[in-house]
Amino acid sequence: MIVGNEQELKIVFTGPMGAGKTTAIRSISDIPPVSTEVDNTDRATCDKDSTTVGLDYGQLVLEDGTSVRLYGTPGQERFSFMWEILSKGAIGVILLIDGSTPTALEDLRSYAQAFHRFSPDQAFVIGVGRSNPEDAGLLDRYAQALAAGGIIAPVFDVDVRKREDVLLLVETLLCILETQVPEINNAVH
Amino acid sequence: MQSTSRIAEKAKFPAAQARLAQFVAANPDVTLSLVTSSDGFEVAAYPASAVAQRICAMSSSLQALSEAIAREAGRGSSRNLIIETDNGTIVVLGIPNTAPRMSLAVIASGGEILGRLLWAARNCCAALESDLQA
Repeated sequence: MIVGNEQELKIVFTGPMGAGKTTAIRSISDIPPVSTEVDNTDRATCDKDSTTVGLDYGQLVLEDGTSVRLYGTPGQERFSFMWEILSKGAIGVILLIDGSTPTALEDLRSYAQAFHRFSPDQAFVIGVGRSNPEDAGLLDRYAQALAAGGIIAPVFDVDVRKREDVLLLVETLLCILETQVPEINNAVH
Repeated sequence: MQSTSRIAEKAKFPAAQARLAQFVAANPDVTLSLVTSSDGFEVAAYPASAVAQRICAMSSSLQALSEAIAREAGRGSSRNLIIETDNGTIVVLGIPNTAPRMSLAVIASGGEILGRLLWAARNCCAALESDLQA
């Protein structure tokens, strides 16, 4: 979206519960993020104190003044109505996966397919956290699994607590879009 | 992605369920009443409805968003959430002193007067407070 001479881009962070969406936005947002975390009563699915039930919201201003609006979705499928709402107008999706869970590959496929359905032209970048450092082929397997479903996306090993790791995901997404959407060229450079 | 919440596993709270049945009987324009946990699980619903679980999740999202906007605007805590539609009203009220926090969501047809609906829903919340602690 172009507002006056400045651009505003919207990016969605998604992925299963506990993948680090709230933390990722907190790591790079220039403003104190808006959070809708509440007590988590579903400890069997994910053993953490709180969970996002509405959205996370943060903002990142690029060097050229372009404002990137960062939206985080709730992870649980019962909140999938928010996935569709938050996807509207987004230029791309950053999908975070917890690589330490046995369902990681299945999570990757199901979330990527769900968001691909909402907007087939949206670009994807995948961030895998807590992956086994000794599993050298992990990221390739993830990329291949996505490609088998018709989604081509770069896959990175990330620690969402680190600003530089999350920025890498955002910058990669913008680079992909740079080749697809002419108006974003000026924002990135 | 099955829910494994201890709230969802508790097979509803019978006292809360009975309270909602009383509430709907006393307020004929109420078409659906629900008690939901803050993280979107159904605690009780009356009458039974295929959309109850989905509306519970939506209510918790709305409740959290209303809390966020109240906080952002520096207006304290959100108390009630009111949605007026073309042919009805939806209100979501926090149930005091529940842990984890719970809310009452009420869907009413267009015949219900908002003030009366809120008054009745508040009374129901007060009763649910003790039902859910029992």
